[in-house]
Amino acid sequence: MRVRIAPEAFDPQAEIAAFTHLRDDAGALASFVGYCRASTDGVAVNELRIDHYPGFSEKEIARLAEETARRFDCPDLLVIHRVGVIRPGEAIVLVAALSVHRASAFDAVRILMDYLKTDAPLWKKETGPGGTRWIEPRPEDHARRLEAEKGWT
Amino acid sequence: MTVRLVFLGKFGDVAPMAEIALPDGVRTLNDLKAWVARQQPQLGAAMEATRTRLIVNQCVAHDLSAPVSDGDEVAFLPPMSGG
Repeated sequence: MRVRIAPEAFDPQAEIAAFTHLRDDAGALASFVGYCRASTDGVAVNELRIDHYPGFSEKEIARLAEETARRFDCPDLLVIHRVGVIRPGEAIVLVAALSVHRASAFDAVRILMDYLKTDAPLWKKETGPGGTRWIEPRPEDHARRLEAEKGWT
Repeated sequence: MTVRLVFLGKFGDVAPMAEIALPDGVRTLNDLKAWVARQQPQLGAAMEATRTRLIVNQCVAHDLSAPVSDGDEVAFLPPMSGG
């Protein structure tokens, strides 16, 4: 389990490559990278700022990752999440799962992303031409989170 | 007896982090939350309008009738938005 809060920009491809080489008993790797958009609903985004609560944020994300790894029997999971000021085009989050087979790798990445949206102690603030606004989970994020809960053991 | 208050996300826009002497009459987390809302009405309104979670010494507080102790760090968290 590798969980990192990144205050600086990171290279998702390099991180995935390094993670993939860590084990040879996993036959599948799935990954997701979320990037900072240049616009939201047609409104320009100049920058995104993500606040975290040092110590607690890392601990909670690690807990979600561990639960996901257990549920899908993944030998290893990688989570890197940016904090601080993020420019359009920069990666915000990377989630990668190593598994024996593809289905559990895909599922682990999707479910962990659903959890991060609503349960990771992080707070996003978008700045555009009209000023700044804090972002809260959308109804569909909560719906996905509830869906992800099903079958949780 | 001192307590450290931490305000995250949009709560941090309204109130700064603070080290306070525990005010008279504040015994539980509920008391503390109500005291904070009285001191900072704008923050009180923001906490009222959304789901607010309290974290004590880096652990989620499930029971707000729990006592506040000397040296506690109490964080006020608005809804999270990761990913």
